[in-house]
Amino acid sequence: MIEPSRTLSDAAAENQSAILQALEDRAAGAAAQAVRAFENVLAPAFPDRLALYAVGGFGRRELFPHSDVDLMLLADRIPDSPDEKAALSEFQRQLWDGRLRISLSVRLPADCKMIHEGNLEFNISLLDARFLAGAAGLDKTFRAQTPRFLQISGPDLARHLLRLVRQRYAKFHDTIYHLEPDVKESPGGIRDIHLVHWLSQLRPIEDLGDAALLEAARLFMFNLRNRLHEMSGRDNNLLNFDAQEALSDNPEAWMREYFRHARVISRAATRAVEAAEGSGGGLLASFRDWRSRLATSEFNVTRERILFRSAQSAVPDPALKLKLFEFAGRHGFKLSRSAELRVERAVPAIAELVASKPHWPYVRELFGLPNLSLALRAMHETGALKAFFPEWERIECLVTRDFYHRYTVDEHTLVTIETLEELARNKDPQRERFRALLEETDGLPLLRVALLLHDAGKGSGEDHSIASVRLASSRLKALGASEQERATVLFLIQRHLELSSLMTSRDLSDPAVTRAAADRIGTIEHLKLLTLLTYADISAVFPGALTPWRMEQLWRAYRAVADEFTRELDSDRIRTEQLNERTPAMANFLDGLPTRYLRIHTEDEIQAHFHLAEAVPIIGASIQISRGGAAFHLCVVTQDRPYLLAAIAGALASFGLNIVKADVFGNRHGLILDTFVFTDPLHNLDLNPSELDRLKGVIERAISGKIDVQKLLQGRPAGRKRPSRVEPTVLVDNAASETATLVHVTAEDAPGLLYRMASAISSLELNIEVVLLDTEAHRALDVFHITRTGHKLDDATAGTLRDMLLEACSV
Amino acid sequence: MKKVEAIIQPFKMEEVKEALKSLGVDGMTISEVRGHGRQKGHKEVYRGQEYTVDLLPKVKIEMVISDARLDEVTRALAGAARTGKIGDGKIFVYDVAEAIRIRNDDRGETAL
Repeated sequence: MIEPSRTLSDAAAENQSAILQALEDRAAGAAAQAVRAFENVLAPAFPDRLALYAVGGFGRRELFPHSDVDLMLLADRIPDSPDEKAALSEFQRQLWDGRLRISLSVRLPADCKMIHEGNLEFNISLLDARFLAGAAGLDKTFRAQTPRFLQISGPDLARHLLRLVRQRYAKFHDTIYHLEPDVKESPGGIRDIHLVHWLSQLRPIEDLGDAALLEAARLFMFNLRNRLHEMSGRDNNLLNFDAQEALSDNPEAWMREYFRHARVISRAATRAVEAAEGSGGGLLASFRDWRSRLATSEFNVTRERILFRSAQSAVPDPALKLKLFEFAGRHGFKLSRSAELRVERAVPAIAELVASKPHWPYVRELFGLPNLSLALRAMHETGALKAFFPEWERIECLVTRDFYHRYTVDEHTLVTIETLEELARNKDPQRERFRALLEETDGLPLLRVALLLHDAGKGSGEDHSIASVRLASSRLKALGASEQERATVLFLIQRHLELSSLMTSRDLSDPAVTRAAADRIGTIEHLKLLTLLTYADISAVFPGALTPWRMEQLWRAYRAVADEFTRELDSDRIRTEQLNERTPAMANFLDGLPTRYLRIHTEDEIQAHFHLAEAVPIIGASIQISRGGAAFHLCVVTQDRPYLLAAIAGALASFGLNIVKADVFGNRHGLILDTFVFTDPLHNLDLNPSELDRLKGVIERAISGKIDVQKLLQGRPAGRKRPSRVEPTVLVDNAASETATLVHVTAEDAPGLLYRMASAISSLELNIEVVLLDTEAHRALDVFHITRTGHKLDDATAGTLRDMLLEACSV
Repeated sequence: MKKVEAIIQPFKMEEVKEALKSLGVDGMTISEVRGHGRQKGHKEVYRGQEYTVDLLPKVKIEMVISDARLDEVTRALAGAARTGKIGDGKIFVYDVAEAIRIRNDDRGETAL
């Protein structure tokens, strides 16, 4: 029960260090009581055979109001006679009656010079042992043997201690940023102050950071724990919401102060742990050195930490610091302490550099790296993140009072990004579907930017999605993101709760619900990104928040909307009355294309397609090939004819080109618009620029029927046959669409696959209304919308088609 | 006293909670469960991978009420949870022998 009390801020105004005196006075009082009882009861019963020690926190003279009083009796032999046992009981009784909560152990000198793996706390407590009374001879032995024991067993002791630290950190998910932290055990709490103290005793540590800051943090935590004990009347160290309110008039601001101190302590503990880990010369250390043997002209990695190669220069070089984050994100190592210090000093210069010109290309590159979260953590810890995203300061250490959330807003945000990295590595079959989405999307950098900013507006008092969009919008503009990229990121932020709400409060089997959701979400790519964002956002609320139940619900929501996107393709067409603002010629071009066309293409692309359409000859086609990153984009506009798709696919295959994505749409006037994304694994087009023109010519002649594609392909040397890793599946669905039969094909991606499939479909005199082609790693994922004389396929034709497609996939 | 246990569609939970609240029923236990009824499960193919969807996500609501309230509570519950489609769920009613409030040892309906 928390009683109303004087706030800690009042106490802070007074001399914080008064707490040390209070703890010491309490320890002195307890010591006097213990010595008195010892002299009364034990000294006469064990003349010169027992010595009394204060150990643990009591040994350090840090006795909190309701902490245990840890005592050790050092004996020359185990007391076992009835009289001796009675004396020990009487000693304890007197102390208990004197209201001291003692925790007593009786040990032999030999016990104190061996490692107790199962009771390491005992070994550790001896580091703070303080002689109180009793046999001087025993104490002399103890004093003589302890330094020798520490010299011999220090490294072992440190190793065991680090194991305990890792276990303790794991309990708190390796973060200080808990909304309701335990001021003793949480990372950054008092136990970490002890850890630094113990490890320094085992081996001196050179750099623990700013000593004054560390001392201020220590006093803050001591005061805090003292107050928690006083308020709750017991050994309670949990700084829960009630306690936060009782301790401060402005708990949110005050918790930021708590986290600032905890961060100082946590950093000192990290440095002490790293120093201790580094001192081990064992196999593990050699392995880690070997694993992290990596160097560039600017950085090298030692013991899994990145260091600058050059000595400290007088002029801070902010550009080099930016490369450092890129290096961390690419290779997955943390910064060394020295690198951190250099970055910290360069933060103003980094901010100046970032403000001097748009840094979007850098951000985009960084946010696509495999270990982005390590780079972001390093930027967060050194303050460099705020140079790129000043909004970050708003949510740093921000506590939100929420029944579910367990972390501060900044920590939650970083955990979302870590969650996606973890998903990429996770082999859990239940998560495979989400992992596949992650592999399929090329929008990962934008998704991660959206995650970084999705809660930036929290704490502003207004709807945080709206506030976050506003903040992100101006930030992305300042960084120089393109309009399209901005639109994607802002969409994700604005809609970041859409799927959560869909999966818990809407009837997913109601077509009107999924239809409306599909309209709001717009494209399948948006849906994939939003699903991954929701996956990460829920997972980062607290460990285990994304239960199998919620995962299933999220997947059902994704599937329901994704099916809607596939279903609508042939039934949901652009109608002329929607095109009032377009020129008649443009309206004529757009009339009857799938509505989705307008959503997935920018206005510039639509204009380009229109110009191609205007130039379509009576026989032949308008063809445009452009380069976009590592892939080529092909757009073909032509009149519909049999074997059209097979002709284009065959022409591409005859050049050894690999189709990774394709959309095939037709308008109401028989005009077909095919867009392909393909790669050039043999680098033919790169090495011979004239090949691009030849490719155009071959496509055009293939479409016009002037060359036989099959013959072209026969001339090609067969590629190396790879054993198929994907069992081909062909699923014919007559129910999904009102007007066409949907055929879903999954197969090992192989040269000429689309050509064979398209040929098979055309050989049955079927019409391909719409095609969506995608490739995920080596798996081809294709959806064909097929009709025969304007109707869905009958069962017999569907069966024949299935068999032929399976055969086409198996060649 | 009766224990009412309802398995409902997840998206109906808020509506059901509201309906019960308007009757003055505040105490309930809610769990996320998975299961299937007579409609059994089915197989779903996604991207060539087959997934068995035999256990669908549902929400289980449990509450103990006085005998006198049974009729209105089950009626409100069913009314709020119904869509008329397969998978709307079930309500089970059990007799309760005793209720004990742990804090003060209240017994029977006063403990509810």
